[in-house]
Amino acid sequence: MEQSYWLLNVTLDDGFIFEDGNIIGTKSGLYNLYIHNGVIETIQLAEIPIDSTQTPVHDAGNLLALPAFKEMHNHLDKTYLGLPWKSCIPAANLIERLNLEARELAELASSGQLRAEQMLKLLLKGGANHVRTHVNIDPYIGLKNLEEIQKALETFDGKMTHEIVAFPQHGLLRTNSSSLMRQAMNEGATIVGGLDPGGVDLNIEASLYEMMDIAVEFNADIDIHIHDPGHLGFYTIQKLMSLIEDANWQNRVSLSHAFALGDVPIEKSREMAIILAKLGVSVMSTVPINRVMPPVDLLHDYGVHVALGCDGFYDSWSPYGTGDMLEKVGRLAERYKWIDEYSLSQSLQFITGGVKTLDKDGKRLWPKVGDEASLVLVEASCSAEAVARRANRNAVISHGRLAYGELVAESALK
Amino acid sequence: MKAIYWLKNVRLECGYEKENGRVIGTQTELAHLLIENGTIVKIVKGEFIKTDLHEEDAGGLLLLPSFIEKHVHLDKTLMGDVWRACTPTSSVIERFEHEKNVLPTIGTSTNKRAEALLDILLASGSAHVRTHVDIYPEIGLKNLEQVQMALENYSNKLSSEIVAFAQHGLLRSKSTKLVREALRNGAGIVGAVDPAVVDQNIEASLVELFELATEGNADIDLHLHDPGHLGTFTMKRLAALTKQAGWEGRVAISHAFGLGDVSREEAYELADMLADAGISIVTSVPINRNMPPVDLLNERGVEVSVGNDNIFDVWSPLGTGDILERAGRLAERFKWIDEVSLSQSLKYITGGITPLDVSGNQVWPKVGDAANLVLTPASCSAEAIARRTERKAIIYKGKIVYGTLGKQSQSIQV
Repeated sequence: MEQSYWLLNVTLDDGFIFEDGNIIGTKSGLYNLYIHNGVIETIQLAEIPIDSTQTPVHDAGNLLALPAFKEMHNHLDKTYLGLPWKSCIPAANLIERLNLEARELAELASSGQLRAEQMLKLLLKGGANHVRTHVNIDPYIGLKNLEEIQKALETFDGKMTHEIVAFPQHGLLRTNSSSLMRQAMNEGATIVGGLDPGGVDLNIEASLYEMMDIAVEFNADIDIHIHDPGHLGFYTIQKLMSLIEDANWQNRVSLSHAFALGDVPIEKSREMAIILAKLGVSVMSTVPINRVMPPVDLLHDYGVHVALGCDGFYDSWSPYGTGDMLEKVGRLAERYKWIDEYSLSQSLQFITGGVKTLDKDGKRLWPKVGDEASLVLVEASCSAEAVARRANRNAVISHGRLAYGELVAESALK
Repeated sequence: MKAIYWLKNVRLECGYEKENGRVIGTQTELAHLLIENGTIVKIVKGEFIKTDLHEEDAGGLLLLPSFIEKHVHLDKTLMGDVWRACTPTSSVIERFEHEKNVLPTIGTSTNKRAEALLDILLASGSAHVRTHVDIYPEIGLKNLEQVQMALENYSNKLSSEIVAFAQHGLLRSKSTKLVREALRNGAGIVGAVDPAVVDQNIEASLVELFELATEGNADIDLHLHDPGHLGTFTMKRLAALTKQAGWEGRVAISHAFGLGDVSREEAYELADMLADAGISIVTSVPINRNMPPVDLLNERGVEVSVGNDNIFDVWSPLGTGDILERAGRLAERFKWIDEVSLSQSLKYITGGITPLDVSGNQVWPKVGDAANLVLTPASCSAEAIARRTERKAIIYKGKIVYGTLGKQSQSIQV
């Protein structure tokens, strides 16, 4: 696809329809977008004629444009995708699960790139043009998974952007992985990961300090997986907050899973939400349905940035999962009973890095001139419908470039 | 399609593969089915020997029994009409009123919308549908007639049963007479809702329900959302009345939320009582409240089935109609991640049929079984459930009613 082109006949959310002060629907409009060097340079009504003599033209065929999705919690290195079917072995607890995983890490390592590429394909088809992947860094696998994942991500260069979290899956302290973690940060991982300082590392404070040390040393963000439940997980989060203040690591830390926030009494969750918002700590959720999850509605209300991910799926941990971010946010909407037009339309922000198409008054927030030209073209009349009905994805444009699907023939302009 | 033909190269499950006493996979073999007048009359293994008879090539696709959609509201869906989100309401009674007002304003007919939903259900593999149809004074039997028309149009593609459902309360909306009429006009099952919260008289509501059932020789499907001990108390009364009427094996409770609200001990006691009264449970696997403990119910011999419930209607904008997706959600909810659990979970959407029993004996298909089948590119049932594999073709009474065969790219591997 060219550096510059007109994308014609794009449906955009254009406002809300109000009745007695309530939002009862979404207005849409048909637009032509001029895309130049990966940026949306012009947005004008489709009825206004364009000068197409010099510029290539593509036709979106009236499909609705949504901001491209972001998959914010994945484990590209773990999936079985691309291999023959295999179910999971039940494990009694996390440590047993880790032991089971350790047994097959070496065996899986050599197919890492192939498996990760299968996963990336699914994510892209679903509309994600960005992935944050965790990659195991542990004594069993060393940096091998990191290398394989880097190769896979390279083949999606130009289609998907990425962030790699060096993830001490088997415990930073438990498996003495600090020096491996530092190697991984030198070899291209950009975010420092952590895991259950209580349940896995058995020394909450030392584990957190060590993670923080590595982050400061490499001037890197943090993404820590906290499955530790109830007050244990809550204490861990509290402790981490004080470290963030000490290190001035505001706006640089994510909590993945953070089940504890859903386990403790609501007043405590509320207190913590205020702190998370103040320190710019975000929460990544995979929207689990088999345990209590963090109160996403409450966190969001208090200004905490919440993002969704598919987690590792179809791997030794879980046989399920589709990699479809729109399905994931639909599940979130179902979980919180967001069934009205406004709630559904706003829910999109959990898979777009906070971008939503309309504000509460129906003023268009996206797209704007100057925005990155990363969009998903779907068969829907508005964002709310796309989320609720899990609309078909026909094409994904990433930084101006067609990354997946097809656009209607160029000859559309007559 | 011919009245007699060979369906060749289907993949049948023939046993579990074990390693150190643990099931690690499923064994399959290729077989050829002779289908005559909608019945499997011969099953041949090994090389296919050509005859004069017509052949359809399944190309190695996995054969599963066709699915059952056990709880859907064909009369409520907006499928096939324009997008609209739901209006928030503060109570179920308010929702009733809202629905009553909205449905008559929809441009498309109930019949056409029901057909649009049937298309979706069928494409997912459901060749049997239990639909509820609202019966209340304002609408009379119109919903019933419209849904009957739709089902009649689809009668060569799927079988069905209709529940005359007093959505607005048997007592509350004074619908007894109408429901009786519905039972005389083709509805085979009588349905009611929340004897406490909606009808405000548990005993009278249940007694009335049983009078209708015994008089019309109809089965019962009670929608019981009433929570906690209110719900379980109602179940106890329902079980007593079931036994008193000799209606064992003829009563289903849909939703049955109360079972998930009470303690595990109480749930066991209730399960035994339900099993004793031959009462089955139908669940839509809700993720925004407690649900019945399906694992426990199954352990105590209570029959459980899954349905999609509301799909894109005034109650919920969500739902895909894919019953295999629903079964996968059930498995995820109860953490059934191993081969046997996944493989056996198929029974919740097939009326109890699984190709293998728990010990791995092949129990389906057998000569004489109805040729109601799903063909899917999976290596086994467990994979089909966990990976939500594509439905390539659905066969009902021997005829392909959805999809196509013979164009599979999948290679045959024994």
